Amino acid sequence: MQVVKLSLKKANKIPIEADNVNPDNFAGKTTEEIKAIPVLYGNGQCPLGDLFNVEAEGSDSVENTKIVFEGDVSRVKRIGQNMSAGEIEINGNVDMHCGSGMKGGKVVINGDADSWLGCEMAGGEIILNGNASYYVGAGYRGESCGMRGGKITVNGNTKDYLGEHMCGGEILVKGDVGLLPAISNNGGKIVIEGKATMPASEMKNGTVIINGEVSDLLPSYKEEGTEEVEGVTYRKFVGDVNVGGKGVLLIK
Amino acid sequence: MSEILIKNASVCDPAQGINCETMDICIRDGKIVDSVSGNAKVIDAEGKLTMAGGFDGHTHSAGKINVGRFMNPNDARKNLVPGLSGQVARTEKTRAQVGYNTPNTYAIGYRYAKLGYTTICEAAIPLLSARHTHEEFKEIPILDKMGLSLFGSNWQVMEYIRDKEPEKLAAYIAWGLKASRGYGVKIVNPGGGEAWGWGKNVSGLYDPVPNFDVTPAEILMGLVEANERLQLPHSVHVHCNNLGKPGNYATTIETMKLFEKVKPSRDRQSLHVTHVQFNAYAGTSWRDFETGAPMVSDYINGADHLTFDLGQVIFGPAVTMTADGPVEYANSRMLHEKWSNQDVELEDASGVVPLFYSPKSFVNAVQWAIGLELALLVKDPWKVMFTTDSPNGGSFVNYPEAFTYLMSAKRRAEVISGFSKMALDRMVLPGIDRELDFYELAVMTRSIQSKIYSRPEKGNLKVGSDADIAIYDILPGQIDPTTEYEKVKKAFSGTAYTLKDGVVVVKDGEIEATPKGRIYWVNAKVPANIDSAMQKDIDLKFKKYYTVSKSNYMVEDMYLENPVEIGTEGVF
Ligand SMILES: [Zn+2]
Repeated sequence: MQVVKLSLKKANKIPIEADNVNPDNFAGKTTEEIKAIPVLYGNGQCPLGDLFNVEAEGSDSVENTKIVFEGDVSRVKRIGQNMSAGEIEINGNVDMHCGSGMKGGKVVINGDADSWLGCEMAGGEIILNGNASYYVGAGYRGESCGMRGGKITVNGNTKDYLGEHMCGGEILVKGDVGLLPAISNNGGKIVIEGKATMPASEMKNGTVIINGEVSDLLPSYKEEGTEEVEGVTYRKFVGDVNVGGKGVLLIK
Repeated sequence: MSEILIKNASVCDPAQGINCETMDICIRDGKIVDSVSGNAKVIDAEGKLTMAGGFDGHTHSAGKINVGRFMNPNDARKNLVPGLSGQVARTEKTRAQVGYNTPNTYAIGYRYAKLGYTTICEAAIPLLSARHTHEEFKEIPILDKMGLSLFGSNWQVMEYIRDKEPEKLAAYIAWGLKASRGYGVKIVNPGGGEAWGWGKNVSGLYDPVPNFDVTPAEILMGLVEANERLQLPHSVHVHCNNLGKPGNYATTIETMKLFEKVKPSRDRQSLHVTHVQFNAYAGTSWRDFETGAPMVSDYINGADHLTFDLGQVIFGPAVTMTADGPVEYANSRMLHEKWSNQDVELEDASGVVPLFYSPKSFVNAVQWAIGLELALLVKDPWKVMFTTDSPNGGSFVNYPEAFTYLMSAKRRAEVISGFSKMALDRMVLPGIDRELDFYELAVMTRSIQSKIYSRPEKGNLKVGSDADIAIYDILPGQIDPTTEYEKVKKAFSGTAYTLKDGVVVVKDGEIEATPKGRIYWVNAKVPANIDSAMQKDIDLKFKKYYTVSKSNYMVEDMYLENPVEIGTEGVF
C-alpha cells in the first residue's frame, strides 16, 4: 500500500488545476518526485510541492495507491480527473470537475463538491458525504454523452442538471435535487430519494426513480400503469415524447 | 529587394502545361520572375513536388462558422487529425489553436498554410452580416481571402426581377458587393430562403416564391444577366434547389441546362454549381435513395458552360452550415440534432446543424461515394473544383485523406470494404478504376480556381504571378500514389515549404511566419443615374423594414486589411 498525504501550505484564492493529481501519476513515486509533479496555478504552472505539503508512505501499484487531502481544497479543481484505479479521500470541500472522466478506482469526499462532479465519468465510484453543486455526472458542453459508467453516490443534496446527457452508469442522491435532473438523458439510472423539479426532460432512454415529491412533472410523459421496484410500487411514466424517448420515469 | 531561388523543383503547373518537370523558380519581391541575382536565398527543392499555392474556392471559414463554434464548444477539443486539429498551445510564432470542424481563426490560417493552401474563398456572406465576416477575415493569418455575397432570396432582387428592371438589378448587385465587400454572387436555394420565412420551401425551378410572384428559374436568370452585365470576375455560384433530397439530381441538371444559352462576359464559365454531391441524389425517398452522379456527370461531360465543386464527404463529425434554412431544419429533425436558424431580415435564411457521417450508414456511405463518382466520372478535370464544402462534408484538414481516394482505387476499395451490401447496390464507385495523377490533382486544387475566379496571378507559377508556392516532400515518378497512399497523405498534410508572396510561411510542416493576407473585393461600375434610381428603392427598404440604417450597413474600409479592389466596367 502507498499512501500520499497532501495538505495546502496556505489557503489559495487563485484556483489550482490539479488534473495531474491522481493515483495513476503518484503510484511508485517518492515524496520528492510527487512534489515535482506540475500543476496549473492561475495562468501559470508550478510544482505541486510549492503549494502542498506532501508526505508519501510506501510504494505500490496504482490500484494500491491512496491519496488523502487533509483540509479544505475548495479552490482545487480536477482532482482525480481521468484516474483509472486507486483511491482518493478528500477531507474537506472540493472545487469543480472532481473525478471528471474517471475510469476506475474510488473517490470519497467528506465535504461539499462544486459543479461537474464526475462529469463524463466512465467507471469507478464517487462517494460524496456532503452536498453537490450543478451538473453532477453531466456531459462536456456541446457533447451528447455525459456520464457513461460507474457510480456516484451523493449523501446530501445536489443543485440543477443532475446527470445531464448521461448515457450510462448510476447516480444515487439521498437528498433533494434542483431543477431538471436527468435532462437529455440517453441511458443509465438515476435514483433520487428526495425532492425533484421537472425531471427527465428530453430523456431518450434510461431510468429515473424519484422517491420524494416531484414538482412540475412535464406534460410530455405518458403514464403507463405502475411498476414495482424492490417492493415499492411506483407510477410509471414513459417519454420524453417530444424526442420520441423511451425513458422510464418512476414516481411514488 | 528580396530574392529567392527555388532550385531543382519538380514542378507541376497545369496552367502552363508543365507536368512534373525539374526546373528552377525565381522570386523577387513576392512575384515570380525570369531570373534572380546571385544574392538570392536558395531553397533546395530537389526531389520535391512543387505547385502553386492551393486555392480553396468554396469554404465556410469566416462568418457563419462562428455560429458553428458557439453551438459546438466540444469541437474545440476534437483532435481527429493530429497536427492539423485539436488544442495547440501558443508558440513564439503562432497563437493558441483549438478545434477541428470549427477551429479558431488563427488555426484556419495556419492549417491551410500547412496543407500548402494560400487563398480561400468564403462561400456565403449575408450582406447584413458582412462586417462580421470581415472581422474574422482580419484575424485569419497568411491567407488571401475573398467571399461570395448572398443574393438568391433577397427582396430587392426578387422585386427587380418581377418588375423586369435588369439595369437596376445590376446596380443593386454592384451596390451589394460594395456594401459587403464581396467578390461574387452566391445564390443559395433561390427563393427558398424567403419561402422559409413562411415555414415553406420552394420545390423546384418553377415553384413561385410566396408573395413575390417570381420563380427560382427567374431569379437565376435575372442574377446571371446582372452578373454578366457587370462583367464580374466570377460567374454566379449556385447552390441548387432541393439540396439533400433524394431525386434532386433532376433539379440539378435542369438548373445547369437553364444556363446553356447564357453568354459569359469574360473568359470563364457562365455557371458554377457548388457542392454537387449534395445535389446528385436519385431515388424518391431515403428508402430507395441512390447515386445520381452518373446522370449528372453525363450531362456535365457534354456541357462546356459550367464548372462545379464536389462537397466530398469525410467520415466522422462535420458541421453543416448554409443559407439554406429549410434544409437545416430538415437535417435537425431527421437526425435529432441541435440546430440553429436565422432570418437575415430582407435577405436570406441560414442555419447550422452538426452531424456525423458514418460508413455504417448506407446513406452516408452513398454520399461519400457520390462525391468521388462526380470527380472521377467527369472526364475533364478543368470542370472540377475539389472541395469538401468545409466543414459541411468534413473539415478541410482532411483534404490529404480525400486526395488518396481520388488517386488510388486500392484506397477506395479499402474504405468500400466496410460498406453494407445495400450501400454498394446504390453506388457505382466500385466499378470506377480511374485514378487521378498529380497533374489532375493540381488542376482541381489550384489551377481551375484561377480560371473560375479570374485571378490570373493565382494558382499558377507563371512569370508575373504571386509567389504563392507549395513544395511537398514527395516525388512523382518515384512513388506510386495508387499504392503508396500513406506517403501521399503524409506529404500533403504538411508541406516542406509553403511560400506566400515569396515569404516562407511553412517549413517542414511548421509555421515559420504569419504575414497578413489580402482581401479581394469587386467594385463594379454602374452609371450614376441608374445607381441613384436604385438607391431610392433601397432607401425605402431601409426606412420601412431594416433594423439598421443604410449608413450603418456598409462595411467600412477600416474592416479591410490589405484590400485589393477589383474594378469592373458594367455594360448598360
Ligand atoms: Zn458551402
